[in-house]
Amino acid sequence: MLASAAALPVLLGTASCRSEDLFTGPDPLVGPPRPAPDVVTLQAVIAAEHIMIQLYRAAIGANRAGARAHGLEPLLAEHEQHLVRLRARLLVPAGAQASPSPSPGAASAPGAPRGRVTIARLRTAERASATGLVQRLGPVEPALAQLFASIAASDVTHVTALGG
Amino acid sequence: MAAATAAGSVPALQAALAAEDAAIFGYGVAGAHLSGSSQSAAEQDWTRHNEARDTLTAMILALGATPVAALPFYRLPFAVHDTASATALAAYLEDGVTRAYLGVVAVSDPRLRTFGALAMQVSAQRAAFWRGSTQAFPGLEP
Repeated sequence: MLASAAALPVLLGTASCRSEDLFTGPDPLVGPPRPAPDVVTLQAVIAAEHIMIQLYRAAIGANRAGARAHGLEPLLAEHEQHLVRLRARLLVPAGAQASPSPSPGAASAPGAPRGRVTIARLRTAERASATGLVQRLGPVEPALAQLFASIAASDVTHVTALGG
Repeated sequence: MAAATAAGSVPALQAALAAEDAAIFGYGVAGAHLSGSSQSAAEQDWTRHNEARDTLTAMILALGATPVAALPFYRLPFAVHDTASATALAAYLEDGVTRAYLGVVAVSDPRLRTFGALAMQVSAQRAAFWRGSTQAFPGLEP
C-alpha cells in the first residue's frame, strides 16, 4: 500500500501515530520548509534595490536635463548592476517565480514611487540603503556580507555624488 | 569560541593594517606631486590613514597578536611624476584599502563586520573623490 499524502491521515488515524514517527525528513503534511534566513534577507535586499531603481527612473523620467546635470544615469546603472549581482545569489527553484524585475518606463507601474523624486529624496534613499545593508551584515554568510558591504559603500559614494 | 573568533579575525585585521601602511607611504609620494586643494585633501587623507593604522594596531594588540610592521618601502604600481599620476595613485591606494577592509567584513564577529563595512565606506568615498567617479562594487572584483 502506497503511503500517499491522501492516505496518510487515515493510516495515522487508525495507527494512532504521528507523521514524525514514520518519517525522518521534513513532515510532508506541514508543507514546504521555510526559506533559510539568508534567503529571506537577500529577498528583502533585492526588493529594496528594486525600489531604489524605480526612484532613479522616476527622477530621470521627470526631468532628463536635470538628471544629466546631476549625473543620475551612471548611478542608476550601478544600482542595476547591484540588482543583477544580488539576484545571481538567489537560486530560484524550477517553476517558482523570482521577484519581479522592473521594466524600463515603469514609472507608472504598481509599486512606482509616489510623489516627486527629488535629488534630496534620492540622497535619503541612498543613506537608508547603506545603513540597512550594514545592519544586515551580522547573521549572513561571509560572501553575502561582503556583497552587502560593497553595495553599501557604493551607495555612500552616491550620496556624495548627489551633493550630500 | 571567543578565542577561535579572535584568531580568525587577526589575519583580516593584519591585512587591513598592511593596506593602511601602504597608503601612508603612497600618499607621501602622491602629495609631493599635488598642489592647492588637492594637496590639502591628500594631507587630510594621509592623516586619516595614520589614525586608522593606530586603531588597527590597538585592535590587533587587544587580540593578543603582534601587529605587522610597516615596510620601509613599497613598490608603486606605476611611475608618479605629475598631478594626473599622483591622483591615480591616490585612487589606487584607496581601492587597496577598501579591498582590505572587505576582508574584515568576512570574519565571523558581527562587530568587526560592521567596523570593516564602515571603513570601506570611508575609503570608497575617498577613491571616488580621487577617481572622479563612483563604482558599483567597491572592493570587489568587477
